[in-house]
Amino acid sequence: MAAKRLRTFILIGVAVVLLAVWSFPVLWALLTSFKTERDVLDYPPTIIFEPTLRNYRDVLFGSASILPNLLSSTIVAGVSTVLTLLFAVPAAYALARLEFPGRRASGFYVLATQMLPPVGLIIPYYLALQKVGGLDTYWGLIVIYLTFSLPFAIWLLVSYFEDIPREMEEAALLDRAGRVRALWHVILPQVRGGIAVTTIFVFLNAWNEFLFAVVLGGNRVRPVTVAMFNFISVEQTLWAKLAAGAMLAMAPVILLGLIAQRHIVKGLTVGAVKGGGRTG
Amino acid sequence: MTAPAAKAASGRVQMRGIVKRHGAFTALHGVDLDIEPGEFFALLGPSGSGKTTTLRILAGLEPPNEGRVMLDGEDVTAREPGERDVAMVFQSYALYPHMTVFDNIAFPLRMIATPRDEVERAVRDAAARVHIDHLLARRPGQLSGGQQQRVALARAIVRKPRLFLLDEPLSNLDAKLRLETRVELRKLQRALGVTTVYVTHDQEEAMTIADRVAVFMEGRIVQAGPPRDIFARPASAVVAGFIGSPPMNLLPAELRNGVLHVAGAELRPERALGRDGAVTIGVRPAALRIAATGLPARVYLVEDLGDTTIVDLDVAGQVIKLRTDQRPNVREGDQVHVAMPADALHVFERDSGARREL
Repeated sequence: MAAKRLRTFILIGVAVVLLAVWSFPVLWALLTSFKTERDVLDYPPTIIFEPTLRNYRDVLFGSASILPNLLSSTIVAGVSTVLTLLFAVPAAYALARLEFPGRRASGFYVLATQMLPPVGLIIPYYLALQKVGGLDTYWGLIVIYLTFSLPFAIWLLVSYFEDIPREMEEAALLDRAGRVRALWHVILPQVRGGIAVTTIFVFLNAWNEFLFAVVLGGNRVRPVTVAMFNFISVEQTLWAKLAAGAMLAMAPVILLGLIAQRHIVKGLTVGAVKGGGRTG
Repeated sequence: MTAPAAKAASGRVQMRGIVKRHGAFTALHGVDLDIEPGEFFALLGPSGSGKTTTLRILAGLEPPNEGRVMLDGEDVTAREPGERDVAMVFQSYALYPHMTVFDNIAFPLRMIATPRDEVERAVRDAAARVHIDHLLARRPGQLSGGQQQRVALARAIVRKPRLFLLDEPLSNLDAKLRLETRVELRKLQRALGVTTVYVTHDQEEAMTIADRVAVFMEGRIVQAGPPRDIFARPASAVVAGFIGSPPMNLLPAELRNGVLHVAGAELRPERALGRDGAVTIGVRPAALRIAATGLPARVYLVEDLGDTTIVDLDVAGQVIKLRTDQRPNVREGDQVHVAMPADALHVFERDSGARREL
């Protein structure tokens, strides 16, 4: 009994420490975003200060507004997410279910692409996009994002499809659904959670992506991650504005996380808990 | 066995020369099967004998490597499962977990765009037949195993197919429920008159429920016929050793000049058992009696089942079973003699296992 309480106590302690470590920078940035640029540089840092919304006003509506960049990020992340799901769902289903020559090899290929360091790909991607006129275009950046989001999404989704007993679609086939309707009415509703998790991960990856965006983007296509980088210049760093921009860029991410919290937790433990609740 | 009361107009099954290979392994070596309209037909065999594969080929879930499947005289070998007008109950039930019971049962009707009020009526009718009409709003996860099994049944009967395929439908139920459901299933099938193919590894289940039984062994049908025939005249020693509870006792024996040498004893049966040679003799446990003369044996174990008693007897190192309604006056370790009536003896060739017709 005492040992159990001690265990609980230690676990809570560890959780509090981890939470503090992870939330500290975020909270610090949140505080910073309400300070004036002068207050930011105070040493020792002030905790009590007169909060201002000026940074947000400037970042949103000033000369260096990040609104176009937020839009840019939304387009890039949104479109690449939709396209990824559109291709990844049927691909994952095929990998999980259908027998075709090279099935095993294709599964390995999908994983292998995840092992390449992105830096090694930047120069070939740059040259390739330059050749086809895809630099600083939405389609160019989206295509590049697909090259890593698709394998990732397929790999993630396959495990969800594999968790569904084959007899599910066999029953649907005998119930005269045909392959397409069996997938639509019987299989997809059961992998909803997996699709939600995949959507979120793919969207977040694209939204937070910086390296490819800064090299392959430009003046027309400039996601918010790149735009914020510009608050850091040779002459000065606008910390408060940077913090306000970061808060705004983070908002959709946090919102998405909250909405899908249930699915994410479930998705990360996939395989640990088998669904179905079948007896025998 | 006579044909069931409600005679169906369709549902004739013919399988011809079905061969199924999984890589180097051959699951079915040329299976031929004829099932009459309205018949309750059981595919019986131990696991891995090919009975489920046969059912899946009949359903169209797996293509055979060779052979043809015909339904009502029409070759459906290349047809999709949905085009065969057959319904199946899976061993795992395969209920759609995200749908209510009502939607589960309605699914096969909605897939062919049935009018809404007709779906409503058919679902309620099917649910009432298997006594789950009060559960229609639930989801499969909220039901007991027995209730889930009924939903699976309702989903099969709702569309009035020409063929029911049942793959070990009772194996996930507890013993008592299994016996009850067995009777209900039989009654339901009689009432609907739909040809039913029933896969089971439980010989007692097959013998009690089916009009006819096909016994599968290692990818072949080794015997097919009414349960009574299979029980009375097993076609081989393997079938004999599989059917009956407990199954037939089998003992190696030698026939020389009409004298049966078995377990160190000599029996002189009153009837001819055929030509001399090495044989396997079989005798049902219920045909054995403890008597003053016969095979010498030692009582190994007495299993009292209440109304019957099973006595395990050690005959020259081999255990055989005796079943009797009377309480035998023996105890473990007793030396006794077992009488084997000659007319109850089955004789099988030792090498091929084939039945010797007498």
